[in-house]
Amino acid sequence: MKIVLLEPDKVLANTYRQALTQAGHKVVMCATAQAAIFAADELKPDLVIMELQLTSHSGIEFLYEFRSYDDWTAVPVIVLTNVPAGEFSDCWSLLRDQLGVQGYHYKPLTSLRTLLRAVSAVNPVTV
Amino acid sequence: MVRAADEPIQSQQLLLGLAEQLKLPLLQIARRAELASLGQDVDLAAIQATADSALRLVDSYVLGVRLAEGGQAALELEPVSVSSVLYDTAHQLSSVAKFYGVHLELSIGGRYAPVLTNREGLQAALTSLGVALIEALPALNSQQLTLQLGAHRSRYGIVAGLYSDSEALTAESLRRGNQLLGKSRQPLVGVSHSSGAGIFVADAILQAMNLRLQPTRHNRLYGLGAVMQSNNQLQLV
Repeated sequence: MKIVLLEPDKVLANTYRQALTQAGHKVVMCATAQAAIFAADELKPDLVIMELQLTSHSGIEFLYEFRSYDDWTAVPVIVLTNVPAGEFSDCWSLLRDQLGVQGYHYKPLTSLRTLLRAVSAVNPVTV
Repeated sequence: MVRAADEPIQSQQLLLGLAEQLKLPLLQIARRAELASLGQDVDLAAIQATADSALRLVDSYVLGVRLAEGGQAALELEPVSVSSVLYDTAHQLSSVAKFYGVHLELSIGGRYAPVLTNREGLQAALTSLGVALIEALPALNSQQLTLQLGAHRSRYGIVAGLYSDSEALTAESLRRGNQLLGKSRQPLVGVSHSSGAGIFVADAILQAMNLRLQPTRHNRLYGLGAVMQSNNQLQLV
């Protein structure tokens, strides 16, 4: 699976990339929302894994832009974030129903194995 | 920012920021340990550097609170060479910088007379600030991924600071960050994807020493630093 990994922390991003690559996925790491848009344009990803806390932009801003392109309206998105579920319970329906987020994972409690299982469960969309 | 120990609420906000910040190194260590259990080669030196920088941040926070609580009486002032503090800071930051792919540069133009300050406090503040900026730089629009540790004379005194090519380090972002500290998960949204606790801890330490963290420019770079008064009568032996 081709994955765009939007993770602002470089060390953590490298760790996730290693685990996902070992599982057979092709991963492009991006630290900013803008870089992720460019990477998606080039890679044509099957999946986006993203943090909501980004520098300068919020992850939700990124999602609005990402979904505004016809090619990416159906690309699955998994949120892997430091923001606990309780803090954005109000906007979960927005993320799920309008922005197409398939899964939410709280980073401190999500092991690499859990992440790999979540990725395996995603059905890639043929664009 | 108001001195931490003088205002319990402010101190608590700093502690909340610190707690949030410490999730990052713990998460890095936990996931890399798990990566090793999946059969991947993991760089133990990177894990050690992560743990060391987290421990240093905790120590810096404690130092800031102690200096603030003790007031001027507890502040052991001594003649300090700003250049040597910057050298030592660069040394302490080198391992973390390596794992973030950030290049460290020293830019100390000329010889400066000593400043009267608390050496441990000044170094802890610059190191906390440095780690925070190193972690933040890859996610900023930094072209060069270089952090410059610099000293220069200004009309207000000698400025010791840390600089990059990112324009995000502004007075406005610091002001807003101070207002949001403890209330927002990401108070310095234009600078850091985390709580940026290292920056606030640096500010708290400097304030306890009657200094303050402020935006500054050097060699066409943008940075944060402290202004100190030098005095030739304090020449080191």
